[in-house]
Amino acid sequence: MSNYHSLSKQSWEKALSQMMKNYHIYAPLAWGESQDYERIDEDSISEIIYNHPKPASPLKTFFLPVKENVVNIEKSDKKKIIMGIPSCDLSGTNILDEMYLDNAFTDPTYNKNREESILIGSDCHSLQEHCHCTTYGIKPYPEENHDLTLSRINDTIYLQVHSNKGEQLIREVKEFTPLTEPTENEIQGILDKRKSVEEELNKRNSDLPNYSDTGDLINSSGDEIWKKHSETCVSCGACATICPTCTCFLLLEKPGFEKVRHLDACQYPGFEKVAAGEDPLNELYKRFRNRYMCKYVWKPEKFESIACTGCGRCIEACIGNISKNELFLELKNK
Amino acid sequence: MKGDNLYKPIKAKVLEVIEESPTIKSFVMKPETKFYFKTGQFIEVTLDGIGEAPFTPSSSPLVTDQLEVTVMKTGYVTERMHQMQGGETVGIRGPFGRGYPLEKLYDKEVLVVGGGCGFAPLRSLLYNLEADKDKIKKVTFCYGSKNPKECIYEPYIQRIKKINKFEVMRTVDEADETWTEEVGVATVLLDKVDVNIDESVAVVVGPPIMMKFSVQKLKEMGYPENKIYLSMEKNMSCGLGKCGHCMMGEYFVCKDGPVFRYDEIKDQPDIWK
Repeated sequence: MSNYHSLSKQSWEKALSQMMKNYHIYAPLAWGESQDYERIDEDSISEIIYNHPKPASPLKTFFLPVKENVVNIEKSDKKKIIMGIPSCDLSGTNILDEMYLDNAFTDPTYNKNREESILIGSDCHSLQEHCHCTTYGIKPYPEENHDLTLSRINDTIYLQVHSNKGEQLIREVKEFTPLTEPTENEIQGILDKRKSVEEELNKRNSDLPNYSDTGDLINSSGDEIWKKHSETCVSCGACATICPTCTCFLLLEKPGFEKVRHLDACQYPGFEKVAAGEDPLNELYKRFRNRYMCKYVWKPEKFESIACTGCGRCIEACIGNISKNELFLELKNK
Repeated sequence: MKGDNLYKPIKAKVLEVIEESPTIKSFVMKPETKFYFKTGQFIEVTLDGIGEAPFTPSSSPLVTDQLEVTVMKTGYVTERMHQMQGGETVGIRGPFGRGYPLEKLYDKEVLVVGGGCGFAPLRSLLYNLEADKDKIKKVTFCYGSKNPKECIYEPYIQRIKKINKFEVMRTVDEADETWTEEVGVATVLLDKVDVNIDESVAVVVGPPIMMKFSVQKLKEMGYPENKIYLSMEKNMSCGLGKCGHCMMGEYFVCKDGPVFRYDEIKDQPDIWK
């Protein structure tokens, strides 16, 4: 039996409307020219954007919110269904899981947020300017860490089951609307679409060095290239805060011996400074380089999972127009 | 450990505040439950609603109903700690990280080199070595400080001087008329130590510049890089290898350290910063 199910967009919207009673449902909605996850309501169901590349925010914001009390842990009233998750963000979850669900210590809030989310991955049916997931071995369609994959072709929604949670959700959808098993031709249509986007990505990014080469390129670089590329950096930290795998944080004290975890970034001055005054990242180009060292040299030493998914958000978010891809091309062609 | 929320501190009452020097105070604390740590591991002390800072306990790891940290006034949290009088309730998280490898010190001549407030973590090690003195050949403790007033733990020094197998040497950068021991930076003591290097392991803790020159000197003396242990000071915050503030190259100092063998870290960037 195929693990694909299909239904009309209209029936899917009807099911979503019913499921909203039991879940908070998040899906990409338009934000001007961009799009981002929003909690949907009756009025916005019909405005959900399907199979667009990545939303403005990375998936990590659901598991590691910008600000969260990690001692007095808030109870959730409903589980979440998150729709429209691109493959790059789902693959980025691997390293988050490695860090936050490690053998020595399971981070309670991360674990809770992860458990309480049903993840609906989304095939990317187009690309954005800086998308380069395939350079780092990630497909433009979800392969891991999700419960269902959704592809919309014309006015039909196709759902592919990937987990028990996904199977359960399909049963719930069936309570509201009948599901059909797609024909082989229809499935082939989904696969063909995936293949064409993948080929396009490969073609566009054929010059970029792959993930395993980036570390060596950085290790063999001198200071000059980092000084040059950080000339327009203003230490705003946008690259890190928008990154699906950057999760450094501050612990803020709340009276009552509570602690609030707040998203932080190694790009901010003083990030590693100690009270006695020493600061290994006291110069801008060192902070700038630090993030690259972390992602492509140090994390690969410690973790199985990759620490960059090729989503390109850091390039899009940079007000100094710094492009990591241009930097890597320069390192490669040196 | 897996099921516990390690962000949540346990409470501890400050029983006593000891003035060790014009800039250094010790805080004796009684945790609400027994507290176990290994020498060289560190804890986070929380001042409720104010801040949190990492310290390696300076008391004996063999004592579990009380513990002590020795704190130099350097920043926001430590300044507030120095205002405490005793009787306050603070939070404690931990212990975190990897401490001194006691078993690697057995059957050895242990050379312990401390600078300034770096004596604090070393005192917990010295307590362990004292308890295990039958298992070690000898302990040479070299301690350097800025001036005689900044030499901490005077009563403790006087006591361990008398222990069989223990030798204590001290120096200050700037002597006064009362000072009868060595003068100069900590490394001047290393010129005078009497150790059989082939049988020896060195442990160094102090300000970065002191550790840098001590390691250089120990190497000149013939210590192999894997026989030198250092306790690194970075901006440890979560203690769990997650928040990123204490990254030293590929290591999280809070989780992989704070105690490292020199050969493990020598190629990482900016270790003395």
